Amino acid sequence: MDHVLTWMTFLPLLGAAVVLCLPSRRPGLIKRVALLSTLPTFALGVRLFAAFDRATTAYQYVDRTPWIASYAIDYFVGVDGVSITMVLLTALLCPLCVLASFGIDKGVKGYFALFLMLETGMLGVFVALDFFLFYVFWEVMLLPMYFLIGVWGGPRREYAAIKFFLYTFAGSVLMLVAMLVLYFGAAPHTFAIPELAGRGAVFDPRTQQLLWLALFVAFAIKIPAFPFHTWLPDAHVEAPTAISVILAGVLLKMGTYGLLRINYGILPAATLDLAFWSLAALGTFNIVYGALCALAQTDLKKLVAYSSISHMGYVMLGMAAFTPQGINGAVLQMFNHGTITALLFLLVGVIYDRAHHREIAGFGGLAGVMPVYTGVAALAFFAAMGLPGLSAFISEVLVLLGAWQRHPGLTIVAASAIVLTAGYLLWTLQRVWLGRLDERYAALPDVDARELATLLPLAAIVLALGVYPHAVLDLIGASLGHLNELVRAGAAAGVAPR
Amino acid sequence: MEQLLLPAIDWLAVLPVGLTSILGLVLLALGLFVDDDETLGWITLIGLAVTAVATACLAGQKSITFNGTFALDAYALFFDLLFLVAGIVVVLMSMTYLEGTGIPSGDYYGLLAFAIAGMIVMASATDLIVVFLGLEIMSISVYVLAGAWRTQLRSNEAAMKYFLLGAFATGFLLYGIALVYGATGAFRLDRIATAVGDTPNRTMLIAGVAMLIIAFGFKVAAVPFHMWTPDVYEGAPTTVTALMAVAVKAAGFAAFVRVFLHGFGGLHADWSMLLWVIAALTMTVGNVLALAQRNVKRMLAYSSIAHAGYILVALVASGAAGGTAALFYLLVYSFMTLGAFGVVAALGSVGEPNETLDDYAGIGFRRPLLGVTMTIFMLSLTGIPPLAGFAGKFYVFTAAIREGYYVLAVIGVLNSAISSAYYVRVLIAMYLTPGAEEHGRVARQPYLLTSIVVSAVMTVVVGVFPALWMQLARFGFLSL
Amino acid sequence: MIVPTEWALMLSAVLFAIGVIGVLVRRNVIVIFMAIELMLNAVNLSFVALARARGAVDGQVVVFFVMTVAAAEAAVGLAIIIASFRNRTTVNADELALLRG
Repeated sequence: MDHVLTWMTFLPLLGAAVVLCLPSRRPGLIKRVALLSTLPTFALGVRLFAAFDRATTAYQYVDRTPWIASYAIDYFVGVDGVSITMVLLTALLCPLCVLASFGIDKGVKGYFALFLMLETGMLGVFVALDFFLFYVFWEVMLLPMYFLIGVWGGPRREYAAIKFFLYTFAGSVLMLVAMLVLYFGAAPHTFAIPELAGRGAVFDPRTQQLLWLALFVAFAIKIPAFPFHTWLPDAHVEAPTAISVILAGVLLKMGTYGLLRINYGILPAATLDLAFWSLAALGTFNIVYGALCALAQTDLKKLVAYSSISHMGYVMLGMAAFTPQGINGAVLQMFNHGTITALLFLLVGVIYDRAHHREIAGFGGLAGVMPVYTGVAALAFFAAMGLPGLSAFISEVLVLLGAWQRHPGLTIVAASAIVLTAGYLLWTLQRVWLGRLDERYAALPDVDARELATLLPLAAIVLALGVYPHAVLDLIGASLGHLNELVRAGAAAGVAPR
Repeated sequence: MEQLLLPAIDWLAVLPVGLTSILGLVLLALGLFVDDDETLGWITLIGLAVTAVATACLAGQKSITFNGTFALDAYALFFDLLFLVAGIVVVLMSMTYLEGTGIPSGDYYGLLAFAIAGMIVMASATDLIVVFLGLEIMSISVYVLAGAWRTQLRSNEAAMKYFLLGAFATGFLLYGIALVYGATGAFRLDRIATAVGDTPNRTMLIAGVAMLIIAFGFKVAAVPFHMWTPDVYEGAPTTVTALMAVAVKAAGFAAFVRVFLHGFGGLHADWSMLLWVIAALTMTVGNVLALAQRNVKRMLAYSSIAHAGYILVALVASGAAGGTAALFYLLVYSFMTLGAFGVVAALGSVGEPNETLDDYAGIGFRRPLLGVTMTIFMLSLTGIPPLAGFAGKFYVFTAAIREGYYVLAVIGVLNSAISSAYYVRVLIAMYLTPGAEEHGRVARQPYLLTSIVVSAVMTVVVGVFPALWMQLARFGFLSL
Repeated sequence: MIVPTEWALMLSAVLFAIGVIGVLVRRNVIVIFMAIELMLNAVNLSFVALARARGAVDGQVVVFFVMTVAAAEAAVGLAIIIASFRNRTTVNADELALLRG
């Protein structure tokens, strides 16, 4: 498996080039070619999953060639336990999203070409081990997303797209400055993330904290953490279904992934210093705030969007625990949230395609006319609630167990918020699927085969990981243990933790 | 009888400027007999291409001739090639653009060749008087070019403003040269460089340097000497605007960098503070005023001001890193700006400039090629990787941070963020704003589209593989 | 009478300043142009005085360059002014306000 990560990353881009060469009057062909372009990446992902060495903490499948020699910038990719889960999640969601986008009928060629470019950008972010390369992919991803929301989105798409663009761009500008400072701080100058590990220690604690905060803001915008989250509901509501899935399923994970990869790895001392307020406390606040906002929503998609904010709060809380359970739970939660939210957005898309609105109050009693749909929806809602036997239960419990050892007070708040989560999810379930059926929707067809093909794989994963979470935990365990040690050791060597 | 003693002259050193001057003369003469604009365009293209090849063949040569006033080195060659390639792209654009404007092709292309000859002199000049001569050869040609569209009021007005402000700047340049001469007794940069350390008349020297900064500030459109730029860029024929924004600015910087980093290198501590302020102002004012524009051509004028600011950051940083970054940035800037003005030219037609954002509505779908290439140029100007503009900014800000100018680097990066707002507005207009549905017959623009595609390809290639181009810039700078 | 170099330089500076002020405050394009010529000639005076003080000729030679270039500039400049005048029959700079933003 030579250069497997490079192939995985750039095959979709190749697909985009092919799509661009196809005649635009054959939308059916374009859609099939786009789907076909995402499958090899997925297949390679499955192979990677099988062949990944779970025992080592080293980066695997490393590819490294000089790119811009005078600045010691390399094309440097590789995966460890953290990134491989994200790579797998991306490789899995992309074919499903292409399938879910088959209903697109405007500018088909542009849509799928941009989507495939987006996939390359996302995979690139997760496999990059050179900070410069990471930054390049981070930015590359921004544009397809901007256009996918801006051109193919809902009525207020323009506003949503610009907001998304400006927020993310502002964040990446901060990242750029921090990156350059770190580069010049390292001797010899390097952008390689493994070689930068712990190098933040060359700066005095104050500078380290400033760097950490600059990076934190860049990533927090993506997570999105309060108060940087306001782009998310707009972007989600306006984006087409598949793009919402990608936004919630993959893009939000980049924030927490970036924190683990960059902030934790390079600036461990500052991480320990600042984790309480900026991760644990803010994460807990996000959990409660997201849940309360979700309770107040009347739009189904907006509700799911706010539930994302709430669920990503668990990731932040778990990360800040610096215990094996907490940090493992956080990464598992990243994966689980990716699948569950993807499922939820796909479900919202299904009903929106039929009813052309998403007002919760406008529905009722759908269980009667769409039994299969209702079954999957119930599974997804219960999973989001954290019901035992489904995937999110494990990760949330791990997060809470881990966090309890370090931040018991916050853990109590976070755990109590589960009541709120259950509240808005059950209430929604009841209003949309149970109750009296509206006459207008008496003849709605149930999910068709294509939609089922997008929903079932995710539902299966949610069930499977609920029973056997070790499929993911084994992948991440070694690397996260190492990272956790690094943070603690780095902090011991640098500044004493509070 | 007493004999005249001519200094030994290395004629190879003046090959590029000689060839372009001859080309200019030939074109002026041919313009009288040849009516076909396209033929004249091709002759110019071939002439410039031959000159470019001949210039490239000089690579590796290094000599100083004309009694130490005119250099042939990698620095000059780098800029010569930049001017010639920019010239070729502008000629390609003009071959479509001139149709129906009534601008006489022979004169137009002839002046273009002379302008390039002047730029080449500026890049090679190692003597302040030669800098002055090159600047005037270039400027006088460009004054006329700006007003080439004689029946257009705004072209008249642009030429007039450019001329008055240009001549005004010339006054400062000459006064600066006079004061520097008074303080050091020399015009040659190498003699100035040795004399600046122990001049008895430091005040006069500093005043002279300040005057030179004002003069070059006018030429490269740095704030607060930028007020002519938007008017002139908007009013001049779009192809001439492209030439001014790219080649004229690059020539200004070619002389600026050589004079300041070579001649006044010893005074870096004195002039860098002044340039620091000018760089910060130029970036900020350029970007902020660009935000307010609805006319894309005018917006690009302000954007070119802002980009001069980024190059000034590199100049402030100075040293090998800063100098290299300045050269590289000019290369990058040239292609993306040429392309952007090319798109502006392609969307306009005689009598209908189509330059406001409203005119751009829906262009992305009506003219997909222009939409995609303009997207590339706008994103590159914003500084989004992996396009060339990002590589350029990266090197500039890296150089600034390396030399300890943290605040300036942060100002620059923040400006990048501000600039995204108005560049993205063009994308919004092209793709997100519903445009008029009527499909007017689009004129065939083969040459213009070629120039745009070439610029777009270069913008991507330089962005993805910057190492080679960076190496060229480094060779160029280190040969100073 | 022996004139110190400083006096010549002072005069040159004053003339130059008058030229700059003329460009900035006058509105008639022809007058602005004349003010620019004044600036150039002020500089010429400086060159001559400085070269004289140093006992060198190079500074005086420059004056010829400046005069030649100024003549070329004048030719082009007046042509531009005439072209503009033909189209709108004014030489008032304030009325050249088509381009404003």
